[in-house]
Amino acid sequence: MRFGGSDLHTLAGAYAMDAVSPPDRARFERHMARCEACRQEVRGLREATAALAAAAAVRPPDAFREAVLRQAGQVRQAPPAGARPPARWAALRRRELGWRPRLAVALAGVLAAVAVAGGVITYGMQDRIDQDQRRELTVAAVLTASDATMMTARVSTGGTATVVMSHRERALVFTAARLHALPAADGYELWLIGPAGTRAAGMIAAAGRGRMVGPVVVSGLAAGDSVRMTVEPAGGSARPTSSPVLVISLTGP
Amino acid sequence: MTGGQRGLRRPEPAGPRRGGDELGALLGRVARGDEEAYAVVYDRTAGQVLGLVRAVVRDPAQSEEVTQEVLLELWRSASRFDAGRGSAAAWVTTLAHRRAVDRVRSEQKAAERERRAGASGTAYDEVAEAVEAKLERERVRRCLGSLTDLQRESVTLAYYGGYTYREVAGLLGVATGTVKTRMRDGLIRLRDCLGVDP
Repeated sequence: MRFGGSDLHTLAGAYAMDAVSPPDRARFERHMARCEACRQEVRGLREATAALAAAAAVRPPDAFREAVLRQAGQVRQAPPAGARPPARWAALRRRELGWRPRLAVALAGVLAAVAVAGGVITYGMQDRIDQDQRRELTVAAVLTASDATMMTARVSTGGTATVVMSHRERALVFTAARLHALPAADGYELWLIGPAGTRAAGMIAAAGRGRMVGPVVVSGLAAGDSVRMTVEPAGGSARPTSSPVLVISLTGP
Repeated sequence: MTGGQRGLRRPEPAGPRRGGDELGALLGRVARGDEEAYAVVYDRTAGQVLGLVRAVVRDPAQSEEVTQEVLLELWRSASRFDAGRGSAAAWVTTLAHRRAVDRVRSEQKAAERERRAGASGTAYDEVAEAVEAKLERERVRRCLGSLTDLQRESVTLAYYGGYTYREVAGLLGVATGTVKTRMRDGLIRLRDCLGVDP
């Protein structure tokens, strides 16, 4: 089952209500990144869902108010969105990885390059805020997991891919460098393949020559999975339709 | 796909209307660490966040936990609200809804949810009942009433029930493609009826 352009549009309603699986969400967001009309439509539909939420309002317990306000006083506030991602990555590298020197050194280059490529993988949409945050948290969780493992492999058509995986976090962080540039109609798609089945794990926005791409966060990692990358139509495929240009067998949990 | 392009052709100006979005202005003050403004934001949003999260999560203790997380997130991330991308109310409820569905879709519950989705009928009645009891706002009720049955069921199961469109298709015994379009058509009709279109 492929999502053609017009078929994808119909996902706007389900997307606005979070009624989509992670792969569907990723597909629609890739589509939305190129579709201003879709972003506007989702924006309008979300205003409708806000009314649905308002209609469900209940009276919170009185003790709740005091507890939340007190806690807020103790929670540090986040800087505005888009506040220099390189700085955030640098901070992440220092703070979160300081106690894992070897991995930290290995990843330093990856993260520095990723900071530069940051713009490539951000989509201009309302959801970006939450996504960025969520992604950043997942990246931090994977990189600092006690079972974090890093693997690198060559892509058969050119370039190198690096994966940091954590079974504990059931996720991996994927980056690649110097990928062979593809025609605009094509893109690299990631897959998780194993006993749990074949799952689409996201498209890689292949930046210009030599550029670093990622980090792509892939969640739902299961035992026995391998990571594969294939060349697919730019909109993504539901199943791999070409032979993989990259296979990384992940170490077991 | 009938009506597939209908919503896309509608011209939709960028900014939200609704009187300059007072909640948005409050969030701006919260972003600068204004605790008084946060207390007002709490008063304006806590009820609907809790109501929405409860509808989706059901379990009272977990609902309160998720609600607290969401409310604290408003404090923490107020600076990330961007008025150019929609109203503050939509930002808050989108955040709350996402957190709520994340909670119920955790791996551990997947099997149970599938069973529920398979046992046709009962789950829908349960959700519909819970939803109907909560529909306090006449306007929303009236507008939901203007949807076709399938549109309304698809929208309420997805939004209040926290189900994916595939799960909704299973619950209703309808093709996934149909549910997808009904969700969109239903929300478009709801949006137009409520007059919330920016």
